Amino acid sequence: MSPRLTWKVLRKDLALGPRSPLFLWAILLPFALTLILQVAFGSLFDPEPRLGIVDEGDSAITVEVERMEGIELTLLDDTEELKAQVEANDLDAGLILPTGFDRAVKDGEQPELQFFIGGESLASNRIILSVTAIDLVRELEGSEAPVTVEVVNYGEAGLPISVRLVPIVVFYALVIAGIFVPGSNLVEEKEQGTLMAMLVTPVRIGDVLGAKWLLGVLLSAAMAAVTLALNQALGSNYLEVFVVVLVAAGLSSMIGLLMGTFAKDSTIMFGMVKGLGIFLFAPTLFYIFPEWPQWIAKLFPLYWILEPIWRVSVMGGSISEVWVELTVAVGITVALVPLIALVARRVQAQMAAQ
Amino acid sequence: MSRPISRPAIVVALLKKELKAYSRDKIYLFLTLMVLVLIPILYTFMPDTVEEQISLAVSPPVSSMVEQARDTLAQMGVSDEQLAQLDEADLAEEQEGLLLVEFDNEEDMQQVVEGTLEAWRTDDGDLVLRDPDADEDKPENAEKLNLDIGIAFPADFITDVAAGQEGVTVTVYSDAAVPEEIQNAMTSFVREAAYQLAGRELPVNMADDESIVLGPDRAGDQVSLKDKLRPMLIFMVLLMETFSMASLVSTEVLQRTVTAVLVTPVKIGDFLLAKTIFGTVMSLGQGLIVLLLVGGLTAENWSLVMTVLLMGAMMFTGVALYVGAAGKDFMGQLFYTMLVTVPLLIPSFSVMFPGTAATWVRVIPTYPIIDTLVGAFNYGATWSDQAGSLAYAAVWLVILFGAGLFALKRKVESL
Repeated sequence: MSPRLTWKVLRKDLALGPRSPLFLWAILLPFALTLILQVAFGSLFDPEPRLGIVDEGDSAITVEVERMEGIELTLLDDTEELKAQVEANDLDAGLILPTGFDRAVKDGEQPELQFFIGGESLASNRIILSVTAIDLVRELEGSEAPVTVEVVNYGEAGLPISVRLVPIVVFYALVIAGIFVPGSNLVEEKEQGTLMAMLVTPVRIGDVLGAKWLLGVLLSAAMAAVTLALNQALGSNYLEVFVVVLVAAGLSSMIGLLMGTFAKDSTIMFGMVKGLGIFLFAPTLFYIFPEWPQWIAKLFPLYWILEPIWRVSVMGGSISEVWVELTVAVGITVALVPLIALVARRVQAQMAAQ
Repeated sequence: MSRPISRPAIVVALLKKELKAYSRDKIYLFLTLMVLVLIPILYTFMPDTVEEQISLAVSPPVSSMVEQARDTLAQMGVSDEQLAQLDEADLAEEQEGLLLVEFDNEEDMQQVVEGTLEAWRTDDGDLVLRDPDADEDKPENAEKLNLDIGIAFPADFITDVAAGQEGVTVTVYSDAAVPEEIQNAMTSFVREAAYQLAGRELPVNMADDESIVLGPDRAGDQVSLKDKLRPMLIFMVLLMETFSMASLVSTEVLQRTVTAVLVTPVKIGDFLLAKTIFGTVMSLGQGLIVLLLVGGLTAENWSLVMTVLLMGAMMFTGVALYVGAAGKDFMGQLFYTMLVTVPLLIPSFSVMFPGTAATWVRVIPTYPIIDTLVGAFNYGATWSDQAGSLAYAAVWLVILFGAGLFALKRKVESL
């Protein structure tokens, strides 16, 4: 294997690669998935009660609700629009605060509380919003509550779903850029006969495979880092994050290379990725459902690269915490080398026979 | 001299050829079968109820607090009528959305919230406590309660508050994972109960429940995730067929078999008609299989559902013809199809979320299809309710289908 020839093949791949739709997908996917999973599904898994307010008189209640965590506030100008949104289930409840409402409450005039609930809102959201609204009105009245309430918390607050979804987005960045790109690139070279053309030059199969692996490593490491940054999970310990991302890129690209060497054509390559998809994807589920027995995740190869990324980049831990996982990941990567060499020799022999 | 062949016979022959080519495309055949098997299985395991209650542990039981307060309040001069009102107080029944689980002992409740003790409710309504670390058997005919927040009232809470005692303290035990809005609401709930017991009226007038609920009241009758997913899954099946149909067309263009076909008596119109029929039948057929497996057709909605499924199947066939006309290789065609279909998929996700879809989502051609399916399956929508959506879908159908036919015709003619 010659580093000079490997570099030449890699340079060719880097120059021609962006013409492939796969490259485009590898680059677009982290952005698309971040948008879908974080913006859309984040609010699906952790829905917050939605309250709309029409505040005609700068009420202190609006200021208080704005300060509150866990209630999604929408300020509207028109009472009819508020009612329409509540009825259409765009809001769980709506509150109309006319001019002079605060003063009327303080003066004991008992104004009418114009509070509307959407027929499709969940009963739990109804109770949260109505009890909160009443409590805010009581606060406005200025009288002291006849009871003191102490809150005692147990355990640790669970991680928000937006954080628990990060391994899924990183997984796809690694799979598309690290597995699919180098694998498909190699398969296309086989299908189009350019691999055979290269092999009649001084380039050896090892140079080609080395170049494809490096292509996957570069692209997947870059896309994994971009994905982490997009999800605000890059961490501040850049050097340590760089190491775990690089190990992850190394293993995923090695898996891609193995598939690419093994697959005769694009259809088989696609079928392999699809067929093995759930096996590769499985460890990401354990981050969404932390209550599942975590030892099961260790049975899947990508656990050993996702866990270091999770602990070091997302949770801001140290690389020393994940040395076992990293060692296993590097071990799997190295163990795949002779297997790839064996399959590559067979492919070379088949091509020579042709 | 060969005898003339009728156009229908030619189209039938082309359809047979399509079917053969389809069955040879192992990867898409496998994916199609996988989708047809997995979707009904996935659907079966989806939750068919909506958890819309907050489970709240309370100690001591409300009845015991009332009993304890009774004599003291009587001595304080509270009237018999007011005492009777106190007897009838049932917080659990009055507060829709709140499921109260009463504990005799504050320590037990605290341990349940902390997670060191389990609370089970038997079919008879009894509460059974179990130590998960003590190797005790799980109680029979009982359901485990998920109690992660609880309120510990002092035993003489009612009398102390009613008498205006100072320094009355109530403790809310909560798992730190309980969302802040629920913790705040429970705190507010305790305060409001105290205000009421202290005889302090609300500083505002509240309208009655009926006038503040806007729209049909679905409390306790919410559309479950299972029901929400039904239209989405059927829609996905229709869309999936775009991949295999685009692949068939693409292969035909790439390998130029279409030019061989066109030197026979087959005209380009026959070719396009056969592709249209095959794509629509395959897509609609799979949609119907899944529909039969997941259910949802009723005597009222069947005609609307079938019509919109047909429109969806034709729309995706048009998209497949357009994508396939590009004549790309396997990977190129796959990602090109994804590029076109992913935006078309977005409206199907909007049904998972409450409320009206964003304007940009409603503009997408597939929105009226999914909107009609959701309306027909989940909200009893009729033809007149969905007339606007159907008209909008018809416009997009003409555009997309026309674009597909036009693109493929031009491509075939250029070969």
